[in-house]
Amino acid sequence: MTVRIIAKLDVKPPYVVKPVHFEGLRKVGIPSELASKYYDQGADELFYIDIVSSLYQREILDSEVERVANNLFIPFAVGGGVKNIDDCAKIFRMGADKVVINTYAVQEDPSIIDRAAKIFGSQAVVVNIEAKRWDGRWQCYTDCGRIQSNKDVFDWANEVEQRGAGEILLQSVDSDGRCRGYDIELAEKVVDLTNIPVVVSSGAGSLEDIKNLIEASNPSGVAIASLLHYDRTTVQEIKQYLNKNLVMPV
Amino acid sequence: MNNTIGIINYGIAGNIHSVKKALEKAGGKTLIINGPSDFPLVDKLVIPGVGSFKGAMNELENHALIGSIKKFDKPILGICLGMQILAELGFEFGKTKGLSLIEAEVKPILCDGKIPHMGFNRIYVKTPNKLLQGVENEEFYFMHSYEMVNYTNISALTKYNGHTFVSAIYKENIYGVQFHPEKSRKAGIKLLSNFVKL
Repeated sequence: MTVRIIAKLDVKPPYVVKPVHFEGLRKVGIPSELASKYYDQGADELFYIDIVSSLYQREILDSEVERVANNLFIPFAVGGGVKNIDDCAKIFRMGADKVVINTYAVQEDPSIIDRAAKIFGSQAVVVNIEAKRWDGRWQCYTDCGRIQSNKDVFDWANEVEQRGAGEILLQSVDSDGRCRGYDIELAEKVVDLTNIPVVVSSGAGSLEDIKNLIEASNPSGVAIASLLHYDRTTVQEIKQYLNKNLVMPV
Repeated sequence: MNNTIGIINYGIAGNIHSVKKALEKAGGKTLIINGPSDFPLVDKLVIPGVGSFKGAMNELENHALIGSIKKFDKPILGICLGMQILAELGFEFGKTKGLSLIEAEVKPILCDGKIPHMGFNRIYVKTPNKLLQGVENEEFYFMHSYEMVNYTNISALTKYNGHTFVSAIYKENIYGVQFHPEKSRKAGIKLLSNFVKL
């Protein structure tokens, strides 16, 4: 099975933005327009993360999510400020296939993962882990890399799997938006220690970065943002490049 | 006959939106089925896949839908969990009785790969039928942790990390696919348009 190439939209309504190093934001487009563009390019999946809803305690903008959903015939995950089962149900009603949970589970109550998995099925529950290197370890952050928690990334990865998460979206606060390559060591460790699919995000600056990540860590998916947003490549081009150049360990 | 496709509504646990919109893209006319009185209005039935085996059967029971589905003698398409609940028994969150339309059980996938099996994967057609016509060698999107164990109604198989499982079944008026055609780009729309044209 081939690695999924996933387009990731970080949204500060009404725009897709590109957080640089999880801070300064640049507007890069309208969610539904970019979603259609990446779908046409052959993206295997789409992630839509409202990066401010959690911080500002605001609800996700449903009309735009629905517009995105209407033009896609690939899986579509939505996250941002999810606090309870009602939030999840609302996201599924907007047309999403998966819900992405982070801040609330880390800061308030991790049992949201168990409850969501039981009702919607594990395959529909993605836990977003924002990891930052800290003193030889990695720690979990929330609210788009703004707030540090006392959770160790590896312990948390194991815990969310036990609680029924069906997938991990692994972001690196250190590498995000810098386009200097993925945090490969982090990816390798999280992929190895978990039995659920891991989608690795943050840091792709070239096609070679993507290839290096896959060869080293064999993730289930890679999430791409900047490279696509700035038209430095297309999903098609990524797939062609990987078909030709990827050497998987036997 | 106006060829309307009924989509079973599961209540809270479901994204039936994407199935509806994909069927419409495939040229179908749809109606959401909320209760037994909706059945006479439809010519085909789609059972989408959302939630768990136990949760889905509970929802069907709460909405008094089980009897009507079992009596339905026109084409039925079960998608993912919607295919799985066609079986006799499921083992997700304890043992649960299914719709018993297919002689099969639904068990956890046991293999070396990551579970859920998630992503695009190929199907290998064993017994061709109208539903799979023209998409025999395509990739479809899978997202599941359980598989149907069946030996008699297999129409396609899929391999995952050295493990082979049933990815499509067919028996009389009943079709089932383990993957999500509504999430499988053009190949998925083609499969759904085959169903629309049955």
